[in-house]
Amino acid sequence: MDLSQYAELFLAEAREHLSACNQLLLEWERNPTNPGPVGGLFRAVHTVKGMAATMGYAGVTDVAHRIESLLDLFRRNAHPASEEVIQLLFRARDALHQAVELSVEGRERELALAEIIAELDDAAGRVASAAPGGRVSSLPTPTPPTPPTPQAPGGPAAAPAQGRLVRVVLRPEAPLKGGRALLVLRKAQSLGAVYGVTPSPPELEADDFDGSLAFRLESSAPAEQVEATLRAAGDVEQVTVGGAEVPGPPREAASGAVEAGEVVRSRHTRVDRRRLDALMDLIGELVTARGRLSELAAERRDPAVDDVAIQISRLSSDLQTEIIQARMTPVWQLFDRFPRLIRDLARELGKQVAFRVEGKEIELDRAILDELGDPLLHLLRNAVDHGIETAAERRRQGKGPEGEVVLAAVREHSSVAISVADDGRGIDRTRILERARRDGVVEARAEALSDDQLLRVLARPGFSTAERVTSVSGRGVGVDVALTRMRALGGSIELHSELGKGSTFVLRLPVTLAIVRALIAGVGRERYALPLTYVSETVELGTAATTTVEGREAIVLRDRVVPLVHLRELLGVAGEIPPARRPIIVVEMGGRRAGVVVDGMLGQQEIVVKSFDAPQGTLPVFSGATIMGDGIPALILDAGGLL
Amino acid sequence: MSHTVLVCDDAIFMRTMIGDILAQAGFEIVGEAESGVQAVAKYKELKPDLVTMDIVMPDMGGIDAVREIVRLDPDAKILMCSAMGQQALVVEAIQAGAKDFVVKPFQPSRVLEAVQRVLG
Repeated sequence: MDLSQYAELFLAEAREHLSACNQLLLEWERNPTNPGPVGGLFRAVHTVKGMAATMGYAGVTDVAHRIESLLDLFRRNAHPASEEVIQLLFRARDALHQAVELSVEGRERELALAEIIAELDDAAGRVASAAPGGRVSSLPTPTPPTPPTPQAPGGPAAAPAQGRLVRVVLRPEAPLKGGRALLVLRKAQSLGAVYGVTPSPPELEADDFDGSLAFRLESSAPAEQVEATLRAAGDVEQVTVGGAEVPGPPREAASGAVEAGEVVRSRHTRVDRRRLDALMDLIGELVTARGRLSELAAERRDPAVDDVAIQISRLSSDLQTEIIQARMTPVWQLFDRFPRLIRDLARELGKQVAFRVEGKEIELDRAILDELGDPLLHLLRNAVDHGIETAAERRRQGKGPEGEVVLAAVREHSSVAISVADDGRGIDRTRILERARRDGVVEARAEALSDDQLLRVLARPGFSTAERVTSVSGRGVGVDVALTRMRALGGSIELHSELGKGSTFVLRLPVTLAIVRALIAGVGRERYALPLTYVSETVELGTAATTTVEGREAIVLRDRVVPLVHLRELLGVAGEIPPARRPIIVVEMGGRRAGVVVDGMLGQQEIVVKSFDAPQGTLPVFSGATIMGDGIPALILDAGGLL
Repeated sequence: MSHTVLVCDDAIFMRTMIGDILAQAGFEIVGEAESGVQAVAKYKELKPDLVTMDIVMPDMGGIDAVREIVRLDPDAKILMCSAMGQQALVVEAIQAGAKDFVVKPFQPSRVLEAVQRVLG
């Protein structure tokens, strides 16, 4: 059998499990006496081992096996892990990750795993001899079923597998299922001792928790009372007590709780990203053709053609909505890689940092999410390196020794806001003001910097106020990268910073890139598209009073001065100068406005955004390109660049 | 006698809306608070049957206010008002002693269901 066709799937899935390992190790590191994460770690490594063995990747299989053996000792004996063991497991996870990547690339020969394998075996030997009744396990396959670990919050660590098995399924529409599950467990605890909660409490709080949980309840209460009590937690769809008493899917209930999640998840299927991209491109072309068809139908004035045109229009809209939905990806797929990064960074810099992630379930177009990794990485590094103070400095400031960095996603009206906030020292404006005056970002006599001006100074390429340049980051460089990337995605950045209190960067992004409504404007013989998101209004040149502010031509619009940008001049369009009464498109982004003077307005339409590799030296005012209904391409103007 | 409620939220809009939902269902709004500090003070003063508590508020956040109120009165009945994406905070609030939660945007029926659960 040719296995190469499965390599990509193997890689994708192995990466997911390895990412989960990072999260679980971090959790274990925070609380080494809690054996909760061990089961998950064991399962993840075990799965990678099984897949790698199938693919014939001997090195990966071998390392995974040694990690698994070490974990198995902790899983069986539930004794706390030493700092040393957890650090070793972090290194082993990284080695496993590297082994996976190299193996998939066909570079197995480059693997150097002897050292980590020796370390793992060594550690396993020490742990086994330290544990009463412990032994170095050579794992039997298949893995025997393990008794549920007692891990109820606050529950006594008593003998497992007692009491009745209770399964609870939350209503599918219940919001924040993790919170609801916790209320269910609270109710259960009011009846008796609760053991062996599956999924484990941290997994319950994860955003992909599907709302079905199981646990053992030691209580003499009759099944009806158990059910009634648990239902009182709210949003409970189904309660199954002890298997048979309450109707439900009996086979599933009897076969054990561990599989509960898998049953529900099986309605998902993996699709190659490129296939989704190809579908999106095809829909794009369909939308373009639909536009042309509508135009032709309008010219024909034939009711039969009209009907078909309308029907096709509706169908393609539905299709478009569906495919955009299919491209939506929860942000945790990106965010999950950051906790480990922050931890490593904090250790390297000798700082204490608590990292929190909020809104992991918020969804974005996958194409946007892919582009967010770098900017967020820069901003998070800045937050830890420059924002958060050392424990000693924080104490002097009257703060707790541990700094906090929060990465949060929030769905706004038609956009998603992602913020990176730290409670560190904030940005010292007085120091930056001098630089801003020198660079002409503010007037020489300016006394203070607004948040917006501050952002503009920080985002200047090469800007840095750091007294030392660390290997981690130099402030400004990251902001520069982030701002450029946001513009390309049609998004924006905001900054709030308060000296001594901390800084927050907010990245605002469209939910999807693919298809947007745009205003089509003509300049010379070309057409340009401007996404409607950034258009606040249109006025006519010549009807509004023009004035000059700081050497720039501007109009006064309801007492606000709006500087003008003549697209004709900006783009160097030659030819006959059009009449004086021309349309001005007022664009607005992050509170700043500009009036874009064009030759004429050609209406609104939906455009399909194609990414666009601008040749060197292109004006930074385009964010992409699109194909118009007649098949001729048009460039998409970038509001950020025009401002 | 109708149940008394203390509504805590820093947004007037939200206080008004929750107040209206509850008042129409026959509850008596005895007080409002716009910060965690105020919530604790008003709780001491009014001893309401129910508290609705926003999570993010100035001065003292909702979760700290829950902790403080439960310390004063372990039987306090507090309903958290949260938003999507605040799972971790909701979990923290429940651990701090909140009895239930509702998620914005509020649907009156869901708010009243949750209130019944908390009081029941």
